[in-house]
Amino acid sequence: MMFRNVAIIGCGQTKHSSKRRDVSLPEMIEEAAWRAMEDAQVTPEEIDAIVVGNMQGFGGVAQPDQWIGDWIGAPGKPVMRIATGGTTGGSVGQGAIYAVASGMYDKVLAVAWEKHSDSKEPGATTGLLHVALANFFHAFNYGMNLKSLVATTVVGAAAGVAVYQAMFYMHRSGCRIEHFDMVAAKSRRNAAKNKYAHLQWPGCTPEDIAKTEMVAYPFRFGHICPASDGASAIVVAAEDIAKKKEDKAWVKGLASYSDEENQLMSESYGGVGILDASEQMGCRVSAMKAYRMAGITDPKREIDVAEIYQPFPSQELIFAERLGLFDEGKAWVALEEGEMEIDGRMPTDPSGGVLATNAIGSSALQRILEAALQVMGKAEEHQVPKEVRNAVAHGWGGVTNYTTVTVLGDSPR
Amino acid sequence: MLHLEREGIVRVKGLPFVARFKWSTGFLMERFIKSLAEKKLLGAKCPSCGYTYVPPRSRCGKCLTKLGEKNLVELSGRGVLVGYTTAYVGLDGEGNFVDLEKPRVIGAIKLEGADSTIFMPIGEIDPEGVREGMEVEPKWREATRGELADIEYFKPSR
Ligand SMILES: [Zn+2]
Repeated sequence: MMFRNVAIIGCGQTKHSSKRRDVSLPEMIEEAAWRAMEDAQVTPEEIDAIVVGNMQGFGGVAQPDQWIGDWIGAPGKPVMRIATGGTTGGSVGQGAIYAVASGMYDKVLAVAWEKHSDSKEPGATTGLLHVALANFFHAFNYGMNLKSLVATTVVGAAAGVAVYQAMFYMHRSGCRIEHFDMVAAKSRRNAAKNKYAHLQWPGCTPEDIAKTEMVAYPFRFGHICPASDGASAIVVAAEDIAKKKEDKAWVKGLASYSDEENQLMSESYGGVGILDASEQMGCRVSAMKAYRMAGITDPKREIDVAEIYQPFPSQELIFAERLGLFDEGKAWVALEEGEMEIDGRMPTDPSGGVLATNAIGSSALQRILEAALQVMGKAEEHQVPKEVRNAVAHGWGGVTNYTTVTVLGDSPR
Repeated sequence: MLHLEREGIVRVKGLPFVARFKWSTGFLMERFIKSLAEKKLLGAKCPSCGYTYVPPRSRCGKCLTKLGEKNLVELSGRGVLVGYTTAYVGLDGEGNFVDLEKPRVIGAIKLEGADSTIFMPIGEIDPEGVREGMEVEPKWREATRGELADIEYFKPSR
């Protein structure tokens, strides 16, 4: 394929928490953007173009790209906003990669964020209203009224989709709720080593998680991601620039996927219709494409660490399999054997992942950023204690039908 | 529960399906709004390029210098009208246009010492008599409370 080699040469993120009331939206975003530019040792003047994004409708700012420009050095430059729901950060990162790989620009800044606390109602209600309404209308097309739709399927946005997905996975794989406790505890422990993460709990055990109350079976309170305020940013550069930098993570392969298949709607109400919500073929197809581009034939052996988009623990297991890192239906067995731990054979989400920190628009860019840190050896306390030659970063969302997979490595393609 | 406190989690008790927002303004904008209680108008003067913003902001949009509390400057409040329009039609609050009883003047004002402009209603003026370059000053409400509404409008300086 005719495109240039590209590397990530700088990473920046904010500390994540429930409320960043001390800063306005652009002030929060610029923290991450300037840290990434400083990390890359480039000035804003040297940046050719900027790709930005957050979850559409969240935070109640319709065109945040127009507000933040002067804070991140955008005046006079192309600014492209991308919004693909929960996958937004992955698409923003890939958008920046496309822009450099195409030869159009040499240095591109990618910035993604969420500021949930600007929503007056808790639980990102204002954002959900925006997103959910579109889905409701979709259901209305099939003659479903709002009340029965909510009663029968939705049960609350992503969590509603994910409970079914988890049940499908448990049924076909033999995975049990105890394994979700293990994943959640691992996420909290890993997050405790990541100074930017939100839900940090050193020494958290599966028993600690098991004590939290049931919300919607099979999810307990401790299984559910938080709503975080925060932002993340990367600087993507062309090969000749990246080669001169000491720290870089090469983009070896990437793919994304979008269709109706994984929308829970399509199961019951039409669309292309699938039966198993945990099938997630978008992730499998994206991974296969990205690995092929990266020259990876055996991901179980060649991938050293994975950053998986997992707002719920079941998803870390499902997507780890779909990314080809474990045998079909066997991720929970590997989990039991400690393989997914930070010092395990195949560490998954050493940063704590989305389960620990969910500034939605930023979450999938954070996976790319965290994978880059692992490749560069700059993840500090949550750096995996082994050589990282290849890392895979995954994004999912929008409501459930977008996937991004990005493979990074220590050498160019 | 103990772990909730440790993790700084804010528990949610439900999902009220209404859409309201409470955007944080940032520290300098908060100072600007609070200072209105003392009938003071604050700006931020960039130490690198000299550009002065009203309301103040934390990053110079011209040269990207970080601005902070030390860059706040107090303005006299006097300004010059640099552009204006006269509105003859308004909204009734329910989405309908209504003819205004009296035309309303709205203007762009460059405050003394500022480089940016603010847009405010212009009161105590005959719409026929508005001219660019007119000197104006704020009409503060009786009891200021540290809110944007503390300035009712700008009026011609006497
Ligand atoms: Zn300046």
